[in-house]
Amino acid sequence: MTEEMPNLARIERRDVDVVLTYDGAAEFTVTYDDLRHACPCAKCSPMRNEDETSKTLRRQVEALPKEKPQVRTVGNYALGFEWTTGCSSGIYRFERIWDLANRRDPDNGRPYVHGAW
Amino acid sequence: MAMSDSPVTKHGADAGEPPADASPQEQKQMEQAYAQMKRKMSIAEIGRKIKHKVMVLSGKGGVGKSTVSTGLALALAQQGLKVGILDIDITGPNVPKMMGLDGRRLHVESGRIHPAQGHLGVKVISMAFLLDNEDTPVVWRGPIKLGAIQQFIGDVEWGDLDYLIIDFPPGTSDEPLTVAQSLPDIDGMVIVTTPQDVALLDSRKSITFSESLKVPVLGVVENMSGYTINGKAPANSEVQIAGPAGKTLKTTSDAEGNFAITIDIFKQGGGKSTAEEFGVPFLGALPFDPGFVRGGDDGVHRIVSEPEGPSAIAFAAVVAALQDQIVDSDGPGLEII
Ligand SMILES: Nc1ncnc2c1ncn2[C@@H]1O[C@H](COP(=O)(O)OP(=O)(O)OP(=O)(O)O)[C@@H](O)[C@H]1O
Ligand SMILES: [Mg+2]
Repeated sequence: MTEEMPNLARIERRDVDVVLTYDGAAEFTVTYDDLRHACPCAKCSPMRNEDETSKTLRRQVEALPKEKPQVRTVGNYALGFEWTTGCSSGIYRFERIWDLANRRDPDNGRPYVHGAW
Repeated sequence: MAMSDSPVTKHGADAGEPPADASPQEQKQMEQAYAQMKRKMSIAEIGRKIKHKVMVLSGKGGVGKSTVSTGLALALAQQGLKVGILDIDITGPNVPKMMGLDGRRLHVESGRIHPAQGHLGVKVISMAFLLDNEDTPVVWRGPIKLGAIQQFIGDVEWGDLDYLIIDFPPGTSDEPLTVAQSLPDIDGMVIVTTPQDVALLDSRKSITFSESLKVPVLGVVENMSGYTINGKAPANSEVQIAGPAGKTLKTTSDAEGNFAITIDIFKQGGGKSTAEEFGVPFLGALPFDPGFVRGGDDGVHRIVSEPEGPSAIAFAAVVAALQDQIVDSDGPGLEII
C-alpha cells in the first residue's frame, strides 16, 4: 500500500453491504461478509493464516443472520462494528477498510503472528 | 550494576568526529549536545508515529497499575491494534514478567533500543531489561534516574503504534512529570484505585496532580472490585452465603442450578464516586481475580490464558470506555448513515 489513502467521508449501511464514499467522490461497496471475514481481532485473525481455517471462518460469517451493524469511530484512525451476533472485537484501522474497499488482502499476505498488523 | 551518566547507550560512536584541536572536555560537551539534539528530534518523530499515549498512575502502590497497564495493552491488541508498553518502574519493574518476557535484556542496535515482543505482539520496554539481576533493585539518584527515562523515551525504536501505555512506579511525581515533559501529545492518564478508602484518598491526589501536569484524566478504573463465586445448587433454589462483615448474601440458582454471587471484599463503588466527585469519567471496575496473581508468577497474563473469561470481558469494557474518551477534537468528520 504505497498510494495516499483518501479521507473516508461517508458510510452508508445497506442490508448486506456498506457504501464507502471517499473524498474525491470515489465510491466503494464492501459486503458485511467480507468485512466480518477480515476481522482484525486476535481470535479471528489467526484463522485466516491457513486456507482451511480461513474457509471455516468464512462459512461461520456467512451463516450469521444478516444485520446492519452499529458503527463507531475509534479515535481518528479506526472504526468499530458492533453486531448482535458473532464477533465485534476487531477495530478496523482506516487503512484496512481502504484495502477492503479496493479488494485487496488487508493482511497484505502476511500471516498473523500475534496481534498487531 | 555499574552506573555512569549514560546507563542506556553510548552516543559517541556515531556523533561525528569532533575537530582534532578540541580539548577532551570540549569534545565531550559537543558529543553531549549532539546526542541531546538527536534525541529531541527522535522524540518528535516518536510523538508522530505513536497515535495515542496513555499514562497509568495511582497514588498508592500495589493497587494494580501494572496489572491494569498490561491488561489495557493486551485488550487493545486483542482488537487488532498495534500496542506498546513502557515500564518506567525502576525499583520494581514487573511488566516483563506479566508479559511473558522474564529475563530479557536490553536489545540495542545501531544506538537504538528495540522493544521485546510479548503476548499478542505487544512491544515492551522495561527498566527490568537493564537489570543484571531482577532481585537487586536499582537505586538511582534522582537526576540520573530521570535522565535514563528521557533516554529511554528518545532512544526506543517503537515503529508505528496505535497505543503506547506507560506504567509508572507508585508514589513520587518525578517520573510522570519527566515523561509528560519529554513526550509530546500525551492523551491523558488512567488512574487506578481499589475500593479501599485510603487508596481513594490517594487517587484524589492523583487527580489534582493531573491538573498540575496539564495532562487530562481519561478516567478512573476500580481494581479488585468484588470477587465472584460461581457454584451449583438445586435448580431454582435460594442460595445463601456468609459474606464479610456478618452480612448474608442471597441469590437464586437458575434452571440448570448455576449461580454466581459477587462478594464485596472491600466496599465497592468508591472508584465511581471519586470519579463523580471530581467530574472525571469512570471507566469501569475489574473483579478480584486470583488468576492475575498466578499470571504474574507464571508469565501468562489472565487475558491470554482466558481470553473470554470475566476479567477479559471487564478489560474489554474498560478499553471501550477509554477509547470513547480518546476521540480527537479534529476527528475524521465521518458521516455514518
Ligand atoms: N484484579 C486483581 N485481582 C487479583 N489480584 C490482583 C488484581 N490486580 C492486581 N492483583 C495483584 O496484586 C498485586 C499488585 O498488582 P500490581 O503489581 O499490578 O500493582 P502495582 O500498582 O503495579 O504495584 P506497584 O505499585 O508495586 O507498581 C499483584 O500480585 C497482582 O497480581
Ligand atoms: Mg507496578
